[in-house]
Amino acid sequence: MAGNQDLQNLVNYGLVKAHVAMGLIFFIIVGLMGFLYSLQLDGIYPFLGIEFLSPGRVRMIHTAGAAYGFLVNMFTGLLYWAVPRFTGYRILSDALGWFMFIALQAAVLITVVSILFFGMADNVEWGETPWWLDPIIVFWLLLHLMQFGAPLFKASQRGPLYVTGWYVSAMLVWTPLVVFMGNLIPRFWSVGSGAGAVQSTFIHDLVGLYVTPVAWGLMYYFVPVIMKKPMWSHGLSLLGFWGLAFFYPMNGVHHFLWSPIPMFAQYSAVFATVAVEFAVTSVLINFMMTLRGSAEQLKYNVPLRYMYTGAIFYWITCFQCAFHVTLTFQKVIHFTDWVTGHAHLIMFGTFGLWVLGMAEYVWPRLFGKETMYSKGLSEGAYWLLMIGVLAMFFDLTAAGLVQGFDWIGLNPWIDSVNFSKPFWYFRSIAGIMMLTGLFMYALNFYKTATAKAGLSAELREA
Amino acid sequence: MGKMERFSFVALVAGILFFLFADFISWALPMFVMKDIPKKSVADLAAEAISKNTSAWSDFNKLYRYYPEQFKKFCEYEDMYSGSGKIEEAECKPNEKTFAKALKVGHRWYVAEGCWNCHSQMVRPVSNETLRFGIPGVSNTVSYPSEFNNELQAPVLWGTKRVGQDLIREAAVHNVGWHVAHLYNPQSTSPGSVMPPYPWYFEKDSKGNIVPNARGLALLTYIMWLGSWEVKPPESFRMEAKQ
Repeated sequence: MAGNQDLQNLVNYGLVKAHVAMGLIFFIIVGLMGFLYSLQLDGIYPFLGIEFLSPGRVRMIHTAGAAYGFLVNMFTGLLYWAVPRFTGYRILSDALGWFMFIALQAAVLITVVSILFFGMADNVEWGETPWWLDPIIVFWLLLHLMQFGAPLFKASQRGPLYVTGWYVSAMLVWTPLVVFMGNLIPRFWSVGSGAGAVQSTFIHDLVGLYVTPVAWGLMYYFVPVIMKKPMWSHGLSLLGFWGLAFFYPMNGVHHFLWSPIPMFAQYSAVFATVAVEFAVTSVLINFMMTLRGSAEQLKYNVPLRYMYTGAIFYWITCFQCAFHVTLTFQKVIHFTDWVTGHAHLIMFGTFGLWVLGMAEYVWPRLFGKETMYSKGLSEGAYWLLMIGVLAMFFDLTAAGLVQGFDWIGLNPWIDSVNFSKPFWYFRSIAGIMMLTGLFMYALNFYKTATAKAGLSAELREA
Repeated sequence: MGKMERFSFVALVAGILFFLFADFISWALPMFVMKDIPKKSVADLAAEAISKNTSAWSDFNKLYRYYPEQFKKFCEYEDMYSGSGKIEEAECKPNEKTFAKALKVGHRWYVAEGCWNCHSQMVRPVSNETLRFGIPGVSNTVSYPSEFNNELQAPVLWGTKRVGQDLIREAAVHNVGWHVAHLYNPQSTSPGSVMPPYPWYFEKDSKGNIVPNARGLALLTYIMWLGSWEVKPPESFRMEAKQ
């Protein structure tokens, strides 16, 4: 077992700290942007008539910022921690790491300024970055591939990689391909319905081939480390990974069912999406069986609780997806708030809670402390975030059904808007809960980082 | 099994092979199926609208007659992002060049304002959408591939969420005047609407009236172009062709 000094030499603590901190800051910013946008739907938007704070532009910051500002920062930071630790090799280069860190923040900042102040946007959901920035992002992702590919490749020379390694290796190859495909092909090499097929593939592949594999990879690393025992079944790990790898890339077209895209592509997407739910269920069984016998840890260990809450939300989302991906469900719920609720449960409820849990596990260790500054803040943030996102999910799901059936009923359009308003008010309130949770979480982070005395583990019981 | 757990195997098989296979099914095959549908540039669209004398073309002429001062400013308006340059004063009247520029600039700001976050551009064959978004006898078709095969739908603007109505048949639904009022203050035409106002597409003219500015004219042209290819006079309006 390597000593603490060896581990410090293995992991570049500065890079982890910088990425995680920026990720948390962007999480709060995109949360605020989403809340601001929700105020427009409530009819109390405070900045009406100001061009650069127009709700439509703010909404693009909410989605693009969540992708590149929040998730990429958080995941990259956590990979800087996890990859060297489970492979036993350092990342390719620290200098490259700092260059990539600055480049990423610059890219996000340029996106924000271009969208808000210059109206330079791209009508690709999650890829709202102006098109001239996209090749730079692809280049960044190739650097990312080399940075984390190097330790993975070295470790792979010695023998089989651990599960996390498969997910991360595949993701490193997928992500540049996905960003290139989704942002540049529909603009320069294909138009119309063909472009629609690529675009829908991008919307889903950025989730399925970047966010999901990194997040599951990190889960496979952090959960056994925290519980100090191996995963329940290696066979299920293999099944989950290869199932996801084969079926997930084909999912995209389910975003545009009943569209002018040829039906065989739509059917293949429906089939592949239902197949993914089986792969996901095998992964979930593996994690739940790993928990067996250690479930009481959830009572004391907040990071672990974040991870399992997220895992359960993940399964709920995927179970829901297996149904609403069918053409029958799509007649009603497509274009409604149902989809928004689904997206928030997966992005905030699952991936948001996971990275928050992982960051809370890593953060005190980065500063040589045994525990977070305040148990109360830690618990309070967890409950606010968890209840907030669940409330938003149920609220928007119900709103979606109301809207969908109202549209089918051919009532005047404005009825569906008026019927939605109570749901939209409630959504804003859930948003306030989630934001309050995030602020408490961030305060705890700040206090942990700046606390002078070493926080000891005894505080945990207090 | 050990091989399946190596970096190079995962990267090649899962990373590249599976990705290409999925792309083949969900992108290359649909592209191949639709390869015979002609792809139109913005200039083609403008020429087509003029030769068929669609409602979009007459709306563009209307805007020129209503707001001549602003139309001049529109000709001078330069926009790098959509690649639209100045138009000489001699050519500054409704023609193929100005119409194409208006579509380009209008599309650019339609995207930049995130209109597509709340307004879809696709009529589906389900959920009574042809009844809701069509006007019997004027336009009652679902969306079909060829109407999207042009530069202004790359990437497509189908959208993923509807707070407001679908816009792909908008030319058949409201007239230019309605849109001028609606963009300036949506609640004036649609009480209860949650759409924000867009006053930066308007300015005061020499008489103190509030009128659309250069960008506003382009945006209005683009909106009135949506679905104009589907707008036909109702059956009962048609005259017998003279022999």
